Amino acid sequence: MSWSNWLEEWRKVRQGSRSVLSMNQRNLHFIYPNNAREHFPIADNKLLTKKVLSKHGVPVPKTYVAYSSFYELRNLVDDLVSYEEFVVKPAQGSGGGGILVIGSREGDVWVSISGQRYTEADMRKHLADIIFGVYSFGLTDEVIIEERVEQHDELTQLSPFGLTDVRVISYLDEPVLAMLRVPTRDSDGKANLHQGALGVGIDIQTGQAIHAIHEGEPLTQHPDTSVELQGWELPYWEEILRVSRQAATNVPLKYLGVDLAVSTDGPLILEINVRPGIEIQNANMLGMRPLLELARARGEGSSI
Amino acid sequence: MLSKKHLYLILVTLFITAPLGLIAYKLLVLDYRMTDIIPATSYHIDIVMSVDGHGDDIEMSTYLPKSDARQHITEEEQSSGNFSIDIHSSTLNRVVSWRQESVKGRGSVRYSFSAQAQHVRYLIPEGLNIPANYPESVALYLRSEEGVPLENPLIDEAIGKIFPQKELPILESLTRIHRYLQDHLKNKNFSGYTDAITAYKLGEASCNGKGRLFVALARKINLPSRLVGGLIMQSGNKRVSHQWVEVYVNGYWVPFDTINDHFAELPANFLTLYYGDEVLFRHSPNINFQYFFQTSKRLVSKGSLQERLGDSPLNIANLYLMFEQIGIPQNLLKIILMIPLGALVTVFFRNVIGLETFGTFLPALIAAAARDTGLLWGSIGFVLVIVLTALIRRLLDWMQLLHSPKMAILLTAVVIIILGTTVLSVKFGLGELAHMSLFPIAILAITAERFTIYEAEQGLYKAARVTIATLVVIAAAYAVMDSQFLQSMIMAFPELLLVLIALNMWLGKWIGMRVTEFIRFRQLIRSEVAK
Repeated sequence: MSWSNWLEEWRKVRQGSRSVLSMNQRNLHFIYPNNAREHFPIADNKLLTKKVLSKHGVPVPKTYVAYSSFYELRNLVDDLVSYEEFVVKPAQGSGGGGILVIGSREGDVWVSISGQRYTEADMRKHLADIIFGVYSFGLTDEVIIEERVEQHDELTQLSPFGLTDVRVISYLDEPVLAMLRVPTRDSDGKANLHQGALGVGIDIQTGQAIHAIHEGEPLTQHPDTSVELQGWELPYWEEILRVSRQAATNVPLKYLGVDLAVSTDGPLILEINVRPGIEIQNANMLGMRPLLELARARGEGSSI
Repeated sequence: MLSKKHLYLILVTLFITAPLGLIAYKLLVLDYRMTDIIPATSYHIDIVMSVDGHGDDIEMSTYLPKSDARQHITEEEQSSGNFSIDIHSSTLNRVVSWRQESVKGRGSVRYSFSAQAQHVRYLIPEGLNIPANYPESVALYLRSEEGVPLENPLIDEAIGKIFPQKELPILESLTRIHRYLQDHLKNKNFSGYTDAITAYKLGEASCNGKGRLFVALARKINLPSRLVGGLIMQSGNKRVSHQWVEVYVNGYWVPFDTINDHFAELPANFLTLYYGDEVLFRHSPNINFQYFFQTSKRLVSKGSLQERLGDSPLNIANLYLMFEQIGIPQNLLKIILMIPLGALVTVFFRNVIGLETFGTFLPALIAAAARDTGLLWGSIGFVLVIVLTALIRRLLDWMQLLHSPKMAILLTAVVIIILGTTVLSVKFGLGELAHMSLFPIAILAITAERFTIYEAEQGLYKAARVTIATLVVIAAAYAVMDSQFLQSMIMAFPELLLVLIALNMWLGKWIGMRVTEFIRFRQLIRSEVAK
């Protein structure tokens, strides 16, 4: 190739990348001006997130009990006596570490959905680990024990390996871009893209699945279940948008990743993220800069 | 009213123009010369000796260079293992000797130093005649001695050939001797001993034979002269040393080398080790004595710049002097001044190239510490510390300790690993790795912790990738920080640090795509182009 061809190629690449939100711009133009650091705890601490959201009537998984110190674990058996199923989470964990999903109970023993058996002592040790910050790297933490979300059938069919969640990017309280994060066998039931989960781009207007990626590469079927990853509509789509908007409006953070689960009864907010990744653009095969500019124009218009 | 944006622009402009203005002022008004900033060549030389002991006492010795008007010796260091070392100076020479009793097995010693020498050339006045008498201390160099037997008739014969008429002036006499040895005696690559007579008879000789014949001829016509032993400094390993001669002319010892045709001159890469007809290495018998010289060339900044500005309040040298008075050497200051540049390189790699590294400062600090270990050993040391500490961090996992005490343990582990590596490398003669103790200990402990977090959250593959990216950035930071030109510039013009701030302010507002993002979003970009 000659010099001018290279130049032409570079000009095209620049043109094509104009719609892509870069990490530098995400940080400088969206996170810093819209999310004040003092409000980060609302997102970083899931217990606080749930408190703030449920106060405003936003649906979240019901909290059964929360522990913030070791001696509270004395009441463990009494506290959990009436629950067959529940989820144990560190309030400030990341990457799904420390999450334990209990699916049934056999006498005095809890059984996780992966078949692992937890005696009272085992459970107490796991909860103590969470409190001592083993899963939150350096900080003492709190334990959330909450309702196990009964996932909508359609999503369970898509992937039986774990909870599929919906990530909605919200800017100035408006949903901008969405994707479904689908666990795979590789991802060990976790819904994180960099741990091997699929990213399925969802059209923000219609809730239709439009594109999917796995480890950065496009694909059309779930690698384990062979379910088609395009051409169907996500259940409760209007509800998902409404709940996302409701959550965004009620927190002082204006550039957000809202993570929702879709239960048989509708969407529930799992957590919110103040530094949502930019890989969602690949999942949708869509650059998000024009969408963000549109949302800004709309946001400014409505405030006048 | 100033807007934020205006204030930003004013600051960036100020941070660029103010230092540039100051530099221009120094150059134009204060007579700062750029040639003084350009670095000079220096050589780092290791003399390595090894022996095999069979239970007997071993002794070995050699000569060490002295600083004088022509050559400047610094950064002397030695590692002697179990040998006891003794350095003894006489008026002319400096002898280092090692001694150890009942040596069994292999032993080695090393002496290293940096040498900077100047090219010298003497002009001998044409009309200057050979004096009849010399002071006693110089007359010494007119005597007959072993290897230089002045009474041998062959010397008279040679004199007769070279000097058809008597009583020539000094310049003419030395020219004739030099030309005779240069043109009529073949250079021979032979490492053994040759005396003046053998060299004359054979018509060929190596440096020591030619040197002795030169000395004999010069002394014969009443010019005091002596052999000089030394090294020709060139990068690489070698065993060859060199000898040339000096003749006492009008109060100066003037050098001559008839092997390389240097008449009254000595190039900048000649290093003098000793004066007189001596043997460079002496050692006990039957010990399989081996030696070599390991030479590496490097550039160092000249000191002359600092003197130019004198009492000017802008003379940064006065500031450096102040640091020196409280025990902070200029070398350390230079490293400290280069760290911001290393940080800028790291920022560039993170925000423009898009490599994920451990921390913003770690690569710059490791690169600074690697100045003493070299890049290769610095990188090896870095990986060694991180991997070992991360392993210890994993071991600590089962104890489930709180964060602060755990970090304190990691810090201790890093200290132990670094000191242990230093001790082991001294023991096994890995001289470079021994300088690891300058590594930023606290930052390494934090990095090991980060490594474990990456590994736990995103897998070993990811942690290894970040480590490799960090090594790449360390290498880049090292290359930039090791530049003698940049070092000299920042030492001469520390105000350039403001320019670095301005560049970071600009990078801090740069929202372009990182190079790795072009790769990450290549399919998306392609589909956008197709639209």
